[in-house]
Amino acid sequence: MDSKFWNREIETMPRPQLEKLQVERLKKTVEIAMGSKFYAPKFKELGITPDSIKSVEDIRKFPFTTKNDLRATYPFGIASVSLDKVVRLHSSSGTTGNPTVILHTKKDLDEWADAMARSMYCIGLRNTDIIQNTSGYGMFTGGLGIQYASERLGALTVPAGAGNSKRHVKFITDFGTTALHCIPSYATRLAAAFEEEGINPRDTTVKTLIIGAEPHSEAQRKRIEEIWGAKAYNNFGMSEMCGPGVAIECQEQNGMHIWEDNYIVEILDPETLEPVPEGEMGELVLTTLNREAMPLFRYRTRDLTRILPGDCPCGRTHKRLARFQGRSDDMMIIKGVNTYPIQIEKILMQFPELASDYLITIETIGDNDEMTVQAELKEATDDFAMLQNLTKEITRRLKDEILLTPKVQLVGKGVIPQSDGKAKRVVDLRQNH
Amino acid sequence: MKTIKQLSIFLENKAGRLVEILDALKAENIEIQAAAVADTNDFGILRLITSNQAKAQELLAAKGILVSMNEIMAIGVESDTASFTSAVDKLTKGGVNISYLYTFQKDGKLVLIIRTDNLEQAEKVCEQSGLELIQGWE
Repeated sequence: MDSKFWNREIETMPRPQLEKLQVERLKKTVEIAMGSKFYAPKFKELGITPDSIKSVEDIRKFPFTTKNDLRATYPFGIASVSLDKVVRLHSSSGTTGNPTVILHTKKDLDEWADAMARSMYCIGLRNTDIIQNTSGYGMFTGGLGIQYASERLGALTVPAGAGNSKRHVKFITDFGTTALHCIPSYATRLAAAFEEEGINPRDTTVKTLIIGAEPHSEAQRKRIEEIWGAKAYNNFGMSEMCGPGVAIECQEQNGMHIWEDNYIVEILDPETLEPVPEGEMGELVLTTLNREAMPLFRYRTRDLTRILPGDCPCGRTHKRLARFQGRSDDMMIIKGVNTYPIQIEKILMQFPELASDYLITIETIGDNDEMTVQAELKEATDDFAMLQNLTKEITRRLKDEILLTPKVQLVGKGVIPQSDGKAKRVVDLRQNH
Repeated sequence: MKTIKQLSIFLENKAGRLVEILDALKAENIEIQAAAVADTNDFGILRLITSNQAKAQELLAAKGILVSMNEIMAIGVESDTASFTSAVDKLTKGGVNISYLYTFQKDGKLVLIIRTDNLEQAEKVCEQSGLELIQGWE
């Protein structure tokens, strides 16, 4: 192992060779998926066989797979192998319907741990690090996924789990934790827990944060880095693809390298499902290349992003995904204008007077859609005019960004409901929504 | 500086917030001596003088209420309009710019709570013109 790469050969593989590897692996994956009751008939109908695949572009002949397909085939309907080869499953919470289940063979777990270990290595973590995981250990892949990868890396791994900030504070202090895995909103909440104990998070041993599973803006990352006096790296994963370990930023912090030995990446127009011109925004669509139990073809992630053009100075040849601009299904259409919560977050983060929580409420008033943005004020002040001007200025900058005028409400702590899972950012009270 | 401490509390537009704050103070037997609310439709600032400002701040902050402590001037005058007018006149003529003012009765006197950007100048004017600066009742 050399100093910069977990796997130099794969990470710096020249593009033509990398694409050749993708073709080989796609053929292999098709062969495996012939064992799937879900894919086999589709392949037959479309004439897809391992031998029919000549280039990466052939991916466009494949059918799409959606979250609804996963729900409709719940729990084991897409499996490509018999259950005796399956050693684990992970599942989503299923708050909006059947949960989705993702199956793993022993090899799947092995490859997953390796990919996430590669991601950790990529941001400078080594076996000398002490990595504390704040994700829940259970059906959520952020728990075990990080655990196995961190152990694979050889780091001392603290499976502290979700919630109980006081306990996290104690562990970090007592064990000298050097890296944290957490969702961005928890990074700020945990920092507040340190401050309550009279400890400045900058004075802790934590030097690296792996943040992900929740869309966040560059400004929010900067704020997290500032609060912690540490580097925060954006990490992308989704349980359908394995979990954390799909893509991560390198130390350049400019786009997330998606591990293309494991996935074929497409960026498509969410309406037409045709590829967008290179470098333009579209929906991320992924095909797994290194999974057995439940390969997925052209899975529609609903995440909106684009491929960053050009080569990365770090030397890795795997494509870089830009920061996610929201999801194709959390787009809000207000007065005919397409708006994403991340646009609003980006503006709010520019105000040092505001804390990181906010809530967007859309409701019908009269015949109109009205948007209210509640933003959390950081501290009290005796300066009434300042608060009035702040409200005006937030309103003005939001209007410039989203082209409609929201009602801005400053709120104190605890008014915006918090949960230990992903933060709820939008409440849509309109009828027919 | 002869000032007293005032608490400024952020009030979001939410029913029951004021009662919640007052209840919290009552539960700890903290007496409210003066209160003033400035508000728009969307938010307000509650300004409080209580019998124990430090304790009040601590317990409100512990409840997650945004509260800050600041310095204001308390001037004691006779409880009549002429004395009130005279005090304000002296301050204004002395070049003190009053951001806001509220009053309350204490021990038969009228207490003027004055917020100004220039406390030093206000103190100087009071001393030169014989206005009584109160430095607390705690």
